[in-house]
Amino acid sequence: MANLNTDSVKQRTFDAIVIGSGMSGGWAAKELTDNGLKTLILERGRDVKHIKDYPTTNLYPWEFPHHGVLPNAVQEANPIANRCYAFGEDSAHFFVKDAEHPYVQTKPFDWIRGYQVGGKSLLWARQTQRWSDFDYEGPARDGFAVDWPIRYKDIAPWYSHVEKFAGISGNRDGIAELPDGEFLPPWPLNDVEQYFSDHVKKNYKSRHVIIARCAHLSKPNQIHLDQGRSQCQERELCQRGCPFGGYFSANASTIPWALRSGHATLRPFSVVESIIYDDKLGKATGVRVIDSQTKESIDYYAKIIFVNAACLNSNLVLLNSKSSRFPNGLGNDSGVLGKFVAFHNYSAHIGAEVEGFTEWTTDGRNPAGGGYIPRFRNVYKQETNFLRGYACGLSAYRYRQHKYDGVGANLKEGLVKGDLSPWYIGSHMMGETIPKETNFVALDASKKDAWGVPLLDISVDYDDNDMKMQKDYVEQLTEMFTSAGFKNINASTNHQAPGLDIHEMGGARMGKDPKTSILNEWNQVHSCKNVYVTDGACMTSTSCQNPSLTYMALTARAANHAVEELKKGNLG
Amino acid sequence: MDRRTVIKNLALVIGGAALLPSCVKNSGGTYIPLKNISITADQEKLIADICETIIPKTNIPGARELNLHVFVLKMLDDCYNKKDQQAIMKGMDEFNAMVQKKYNQSFGDLAVKDRVAVLTGIEDSQKKAAGAKPHGKRLKPQKNMNAPPLDTFYWAMKQQTIFAYTTSQFFMTKQIVYELVPGRYNAHFPVKNLKTV
Repeated sequence: MANLNTDSVKQRTFDAIVIGSGMSGGWAAKELTDNGLKTLILERGRDVKHIKDYPTTNLYPWEFPHHGVLPNAVQEANPIANRCYAFGEDSAHFFVKDAEHPYVQTKPFDWIRGYQVGGKSLLWARQTQRWSDFDYEGPARDGFAVDWPIRYKDIAPWYSHVEKFAGISGNRDGIAELPDGEFLPPWPLNDVEQYFSDHVKKNYKSRHVIIARCAHLSKPNQIHLDQGRSQCQERELCQRGCPFGGYFSANASTIPWALRSGHATLRPFSVVESIIYDDKLGKATGVRVIDSQTKESIDYYAKIIFVNAACLNSNLVLLNSKSSRFPNGLGNDSGVLGKFVAFHNYSAHIGAEVEGFTEWTTDGRNPAGGGYIPRFRNVYKQETNFLRGYACGLSAYRYRQHKYDGVGANLKEGLVKGDLSPWYIGSHMMGETIPKETNFVALDASKKDAWGVPLLDISVDYDDNDMKMQKDYVEQLTEMFTSAGFKNINASTNHQAPGLDIHEMGGARMGKDPKTSILNEWNQVHSCKNVYVTDGACMTSTSCQNPSLTYMALTARAANHAVEELKKGNLG
Repeated sequence: MDRRTVIKNLALVIGGAALLPSCVKNSGGTYIPLKNISITADQEKLIADICETIIPKTNIPGARELNLHVFVLKMLDDCYNKKDQQAIMKGMDEFNAMVQKKYNQSFGDLAVKDRVAVLTGIEDSQKKAAGAKPHGKRLKPQKNMNAPPLDTFYWAMKQQTIFAYTTSQFFMTKQIVYELVPGRYNAHFPVKNLKTV
């Protein structure tokens, strides 16, 4: 490129580059700019500005062309996205369309993606639980994966740090395996959920049914108002983007915060092809971007690089960052890059009918979704024929039973009137899975996308441990529901492919030993310290708690470490 | 039904019948732009008549006044696959033939009570065929595309007419109150305090 001059290079040089603008990338950008670092935020998709770019957010059902139903053509063209519960006429514009971003499924994997500023933080289910040492010590105790290089005490202050800013509602339950956080007031359990909670407390040692903890502003503090957010209005239309900023998304929170600092530059339409590694300097010097619109290749430079492209895409970027020093991908001396990918086992749910409580119902909507049962299997010691355990979502509800028989005036009346149904209660499992070398992602040898980047080949599947756990969930919940007196208990298992849980993790795991891991205890690439990976890719194991809060905390911790290291001159 | 309502209904039917042909294109197609299915003016009128029979005007508006058949057509056009659309169209032909055979008249020429009898006849015969199985938790009519075409057509019409009605602005503002912004969650709420509709 002969036309390069020093001015142009200077314009393309920053203190830090953050690859990705979603759940974790937004946090990297916020923390780095809070510390005065000139930061470039790269996003492969379009910009989505808070409120302005939520086109469906205030629409009534009848204002949608098909009143909320996605046309058959859209569903048929997007079998993968269409399997996601949140893919609807009100939210389809925030999902990657299958044909636009192909990948190779050596084994079936529903890869749900949101390519826009904010990423999937616009679409997430907003459940937020801390991990505990029962999780961080899991691999070491149970002999799988590698030992986490951190413990709860290392990350606890960073959980507090991100919780205060993001806004997490919850009750302080005092449960060792599910540490309490910096909570805003919780949304209470309804009568049946509370009954079940009391029943479990009375009859089961160390099992708990608690209020679900979620990233909603039940009662905003000044820090949330400062972000331009306000109290959650219980709409439960979160997947459209929230005009109140009632739930945490990068769009409502971290990204505009970073931009307001004056230190951030946001560049949408920027597909990261690779991280540039300088053999002579022995460190990464920047990022090679393909402009998704013009397909022009542009290099950007920085002292530190944060990789937050979302788990599997972060793996792809690292695998595709080849140099003479790293012929198999950046930091991949160990050969484990792309391997030990794991996910969450959502393969069973259960429902039942509840007698009584007929004088009571609920009014309005509950954004927390109801109750949560923290993991109770194998917590203090190994006690089953499978490793680890599962958490359970839980909610009870009733509804008006309309009458749909016949035609005419009676039908019309039946559509309005009707008795309330009995109460029903439902639960779904969220199981930890064991990372294995045989569950991996790799670059396809020949196929490339529209921007010349190799396609990702995904080879991830369930194993015997997952199936034993599924069986145990059904048995335990059936037993707990039976002892609570619930009727017509109906458990079912599904064969949903991994990926649909949208909790894929690993591939560039943290670890103490560079021979068996990619990242150190600060999320730095062992052999390239100015590159940090702080999204799902860094996860050594999966716990059974929802992972986003941990990504946020790890990111904030790593970003502040990077700032300190820069000050010390350790990162050049 | 009092006399005044009968006269008003009659006026509406006549008015509707008079209005329709003027909107129809020369080709005999509908005036509603459809992409995937092709519907004649007669078929569109049939669908409108069925919608009005399912959700008739009472002391509150019915399907015709709420223009529900336009939405029903849009759903048939956009939200079913080709195979289902073919079954629905075949079922519509069978429906016409069945009515013609039984009454020697088209559906549109039948008195309201006969229209009701035709539709409930299909629904009742299907219930018998199904062995009067108890309803599941969800009573809403669902897509049943493996049924004989006549039943497929009927249930598509019924499902989409009900969907069109219960998601219409009229229904969601005047019959029930849909809240875009509830601003509350009461977890412990007495049933007796629910607003009666």
